[in-house]
Parts: sequence; structure tokens; C-alpha cells
Amino acid sequence: MNFLISSATDKGTTKNTNQDSFNVRVISTSIGKMVFAVLCDGMGGLSKGEVASASLVNAYCKWAESKLPVICEKGITDFEIRSDWVSIATEFNEKIKIYGRKCGLLSGVGTTVTALLLTESRYYIINVGDTRAYEITDRVKLLTKDQTVVEREVDLGNITPEEAEFDSRRSVLLQCVGASDDVYPDMFFGQTKVNSVYMLCTDGFRHEISSHEIFNFLNPHMMVDAEGMKNNMQTLIEINKQRNEKDNISVITIRTY
Amino acid sequence: MLKVGSLVDEKYKILSKVGQGGMSVVYMAINEKANKTWAVKEVRKDGVLDFEAVKQGLIAETDILKKLSHPNLPSIIDVIDSDDSFIIIMDYVEGNSLNKDLEEYGAQPQEYVIQWAKQLCDVLGYLHTRQPAIIYRDMKPANIMLKPDGNVTLIDFGTAREFKAKNIADTTCLGTVGYAAPEQFGGMGQTDARTDIYCLGATLYHLVTGCNPSEPPYEMKPIREINPSLSSGLEKIILKCTQRNPEDRYQSAAELMYALEHYEEIDDRYRKKQRNKLVTFISCILFSVLFAVAGLVLKYYAQQIATDNYEMLLYEASKTADYEKKIELYEKSILVPNKAGEKEAYLGLVQTYKENDNVFTVDEANQITKLIKNNKQELQSDLNNYTEICFEVGKLFWYYFNYGDGADNQVTRAKSAVEWFQDVLDNAPKDYENKNMASVYASIGIFYRDITTNITEASDKGKYKPFFENIYSLLDSVATDKNENEIIRLELLELSRSAIQQYSTKFKGDEISKSELLDMYYLIEETVKDIMTTVEKTQEKKNSIILLLDDTKSAIETAYSTKQGEE
Repeated sequence: MNFLISSATDKGTTKNTNQDSFNVRVISTSIGKMVFAVLCDGMGGLSKGEVASASLVNAYCKWAESKLPVICEKGITDFEIRSDWVSIATEFNEKIKIYGRKCGLLSGVGTTVTALLLTESRYYIINVGDTRAYEITDRVKLLTKDQTVVEREVDLGNITPEEAEFDSRRSVLLQCVGASDDVYPDMFFGQTKVNSVYMLCTDGFRHEISSHEIFNFLNPHMMVDAEGMKNNMQTLIEINKQRNEKDNISVITIRTY
Repeated sequence: MLKVGSLVDEKYKILSKVGQGGMSVVYMAINEKANKTWAVKEVRKDGVLDFEAVKQGLIAETDILKKLSHPNLPSIIDVIDSDDSFIIIMDYVEGNSLNKDLEEYGAQPQEYVIQWAKQLCDVLGYLHTRQPAIIYRDMKPANIMLKPDGNVTLIDFGTAREFKAKNIADTTCLGTVGYAAPEQFGGMGQTDARTDIYCLGATLYHLVTGCNPSEPPYEMKPIREINPSLSSGLEKIILKCTQRNPEDRYQSAAELMYALEHYEEIDDRYRKKQRNKLVTFISCILFSVLFAVAGLVLKYYAQQIATDNYEMLLYEASKTADYEKKIELYEKSILVPNKAGEKEAYLGLVQTYKENDNVFTVDEANQITKLIKNNKQELQSDLNNYTEICFEVGKLFWYYFNYGDGADNQVTRAKSAVEWFQDVLDNAPKDYENKNMASVYASIGIFYRDITTNITEASDKGKYKPFFENIYSLLDSVATDKNENEIIRLELLELSRSAIQQYSTKFKGDEISKSELLDMYYLIEETVKDIMTTVEKTQEKKNSIILLLDDTKSAIETAYSTKQGEE
């Protein structure tokens, strides 16, 4: 299996800084090619969210560089991935917390995280907060579940998914790395599909556009080379900005073939 | 960094470092003059990245605390603000935060949690009633210190005060605001006292179950789903505290306090106990009703049996020919429980005395008198019965009494009967058929009883006319009644006859005409001759009356031949 990767980001129309951080890379291992992608949406006053998101992206990348090859030698298991990734989230939850206090930011500094390891056979996802992972084939499928108040309200049946779109609490997270007492990441596993597009994005990318629009621009037929993929993503970012999206906007895509 | 042993503000001697947070160090210090320990919290400029921001937060916190005084709140004694550090002198709160206890021991014992809850509720009530009200907004185990004496102290007013309905355009994380109530995310109305109620409910939930509601799965189940041994009363309280809609929660700390103080009463077990008590009570009532009914039924049956006995005895008595046996059976039937007030046995006795030998002996008189007097109360419960018995006994005396010396003295008999007829008159119901008759008998008896005295006292004038009329009425109604017993008829005829013979002159004196007296005489003569006697005794009586008729007539003639007033 082969992979094409691409990414795009924009600080949006109103913010002074881009607190999103991400990294995506194709890795050749003893058991074949893989893609590792990680995307963090930082938050906190005084631009410290940027520090939080970047430090967490670095931590996951370091894992991919140093730990992943070792795991590949032994054979990748869900358990192994979960154990490593959750430890990283937990460790950085404490580190970022202390950092936030030092900054005097009583309301906290934190970051979401969505990391994806795509092997030829299986995908592994960790998620904290409201960054998302999608799988686009002949349709758009959400692979992660937001850790947000509105998502919980939908689950509890208090509001409908349609109401959630416009709920004033839609950017309130249930947890994030750095600002929770304890962090409880969600893990998702599944089969990697060939001729598909895997996408990670921050909430800024998806609030103003529909999944229909995502499909139109990012379906596998529209995503045939890295440059075209980037253009498509940038088009969607522009649509977002035209529609008054105020947040930072970041998106990563991986095309399998 | 403050050095151990150094003096802060020339008063507080640093004893030891007791804690270190992200940006501050806490020392224990002693005021040696007052011999009291204090906590000294130092925030150093070089320990934080943005000292000004930190300082503003601390000033906000200390400004609130300085104005407060409550046993479950730490007091701030002093604030020392210098260029490179900010020092707060405050109550030294010994102990751990409940957060630590939760981490170490998990769920906390329910009784403790309820004790703490009451104290925290008291603090909230205090804060909410300040002017202006202070909303704590950050109730969570990490902010509650458990002191060695078991009481709790609410700490950390900085973060809480900072929190306002956020500018939600920015991403925020729930993890920073503890058990934030739904309205704390904005868009759900203002935060108020009920926000604290929510957070306290969530805190109690965490403490009592060990499950953190701000961690996945972010839910608050009824606590007994987690630990069935917990109180359902507490479960109800926590559920009510943590309602999404502030309107559905306890509306004030006072309301919650009341619930906490009475949680056992809303507890199912308590209710069950109460219900059991109620069931016991109702059972008691049911049983008492049952027993009462059973008692009544049994009493009814007892009465039935008594009635059966009574009637059986009466029946036997009526069928027995033997006098002694008859008397005994009638006496027995009077002794049957609750039957002393029935008339049949007494009337049976009366009949027996009469039938035996047509003589009512002194013994018999004593016997029935005693029986009637002893049972007078029962008999009088039905005056119809009593009256009838008295009337019959009266007649028994009047006609049949034989007072012992063998001499048949009609006057004595009449006198003896007076009290019985008097009793009839005293007790007779209005519509009693024999009332007039009783009155006549009584009057005659009284006449005989009193006449000797009246004559002696010369107050007899005027007594004869009513006497005459009474005798006449008896004669006319009873003596002439062919269905009446021959003894009674003869006795009455003799009474009338002897009255004429004895009192002709007196009748005349009371202005009774000769023809009236003669009318009576002829009625006597006609009746007596007409009576068919059946036994020897009555035949004798009849004959003796007939023999005396002539003397009687001449007594009339004599009386009316003399002038009025002469004798």
C-alpha cells in the first residue's frame, strides 16, 4: 500500500496566533510503510496554547521516531499503542498543567490531540478534545468522537445533533491535555482501506462547512496527488474564512492507494 | 524563598515548608508573641512567568476572604505586597484535601460525607447571604480541606472568583472548572447560588461514590447504582442538586441543609420502617375491630344461649305441675345472666302462687318481694315490664294475701297492696292500659290505710266520696266482668258490700244520695247472685256475701232515715 500525505493550516480571520500544531510523515518500517499524523489544537491565554500544542506534537513525533520501530520489531498490538499513547497524554497533562500555573494562567493552558497511525492493515487513533479524524471513501465517516459538552448532551438525548451545531457551548471541551485533573483519551482502531482518504482536522476546519462539501473536495477521486490535495484543502479553508470562521484552521489528509 | 527561621513582617517566624504549588510555596509560621501558627503563602516574582496576572488573581482572592468570617473558611490575617513577592498570612489549615483522600481511599463513608455536606452547605449559605452575594463557583474535593478534627474548610477563592460565564468563542476545557454546572458554560442563564448547589451535589457524588463526574463517562448515575448500600435519601438529594435546570434544584443552601438534616426521612429504608409502623398500627386497629366484632358476636351468641336457657327454664316451669319445682325453675330463670329484667318469670311466679292454693302466703310474699327489689334496676330498664309486674303483684296482695293469722282481712290486704299500685302509678308509661285501674286500687288501699287516722283526727270528711266512686268504678268494670276470675269478682263484691254496710252514714255525709248507694247495692246483689262458682271456697264466699246482703241494705236505710249530720 502507498500513501500520499498533505496538510494545510491558517490562523483564521481574527486571531493573532496560530495555536494549532501538527505533523504528518510517511515511515518505512520493517513491516512496511506507515503514516503517522498528529494534530493538536492548543488553547489558553497569552499565546501559551501554542506551547502546549507544539510540545505535545513533539512528544508524539518523538515516540514515532524512537519507540515505533521497536514496536514494529515485536509486532504492533492495540494494547501496546494504547498504553504508550495514553502515557504520553497523561504525562503531558501534568507537564502542561504545571506550565500553565507558572504562567499564572489560572484558567489553564491545554491542548486537544488527535494522533493517527496508519499501517497497511490497521489504523490506530487517540483522541482528546474536539479535533477529529475522518475516513472518506464513497462517503464521509467520522472515526473519532468529540469530548465536548455538546457531544455529551447529544448522547444524553438533551439536544439533537442539529441543535448541537448551533449550541453556544459547542467549543466547551470535557477534557484536554493540560487542563484536566486527569485525562482520559479515547482510542479508536479499525481496518485501513485502500483508495481512501484519512483526514485529521481541528474544529476550525469543520464548523462552517458541511460533510457534503468535505466529500466534494476531499473524496479519493479528487485527491490524486499531493499538490491537488493541498489545493483542495486550501479551498475549503478559504470557504471557512468566507463564512466567518474565527478560529485557527488546520487539516491533514492521507490518501491510500 | 523564605528561609526557615527567618521572620516575616517582624512577627511570623518561618518554621517549615509545608507545600509547594506551581507558583507558590506555603510555609508554616508561628507568631511567637501570640504563640499561634499561621500559614504563609509566598508567591515570588521569579517563580512565575506573569507575576502581575498571578498577583491580580491573588488580590481578588484575598479581598474576598478578608471580609469573611466563618468556622469553615480560612481567615486571612495579613497581605504583604512587595516588588518581588506577594505574601499572604492566613489560618494554618492542617490536614489534606478531600481530593487526596479520594485518591488514597476511594469513596468516603456516607456518614462523613453527610457531615461535610452540612458544613459545606453552611458555608455556601453564609457566602450566598453576603451583600453582595458571593458565589463560590468551584466546589470540588480539591478545594475542601479535611482537618484532623473531622471538620472541613473550604479553600481557594482565587480560581472560583475568576470564573465567569466565559467568552465561549474560545475553546475552553471543562477540566478547568471542576464540576461546572450546565449554566457555567454560558448560554444557559446566569450563574447564581444554585450553581454552587449543583457543584456541591457533584462533589458529594464524587465523595460518596469515588467516581469523578467530570471524567469519562461524565455522568452522574443514581448513587445506589454504584453502591446499593448507600442511602436512597442521599441519592435523592444528590439527584436534586445536580438537575440540569437550576429551577429543579434546591433553590437555596438553607433548603439543601434542611434536606441533609432529614435525609433519613426521605430514605426508602426509613420510609419502609415508617410504613411498617403504619402497617403494624393498622393491623392493631384491624385486630381491635376484629376482636370487638368477635366480642359482640360472641356476646350475641351468649345472649342467644342465655335466651335459650331462659326460655327453656320458663317452658319447663310452665309444664311442671309440682309447686316447689315450678318456684325453683322460675327463680333459676331470673338468675340466667341478663334475664333478671324480663317479666315472664315473675309473672310465672305470680301465677304459680295463685294457682297453688289461691292463697298468697307471707313466705311467698317475702320471696317475690325480695326478687323484685333485688332486680329492680334491671326490671326498671323496661318500665312496661316493671309496671306490669307491680300491677300483678299488687292484685296478688289485694285479692290473695294471707298475712298469717288465718283471718281473712280484706282491709289489710288492700293496705298491703297500696305500695305496689303506687309503684305502678310512679313508673307506668303514659299509655299504660291499667293505669286507671291501678289508680283506683291505690286510692282504695290508701283510703283504708289512712281512714282510721283521719277519723281520729276528724279530717275524714270528703274522703268518702272519692272512695265511693273508686269502689263503684271497680265494681262496674271488674266485678261485673264475667270473664274475670271468680275470686276477684267475689272479693270486689264483698269489698263494696262491706263498704256500704260500714260507711253508709259517711257516704251520706259526703253527699252521696241514697239512690246512688242503692244503685250500688242492687248491682252487688244482682252480680253476686249471677256468679257461677266452681270451687268450694268461692261458693262459701258467695254464700256469705248473700247472707249479709240484707244487713247491708238495712244499713243504707238506717243511714238515710236519720237527718244529715246525726249519727
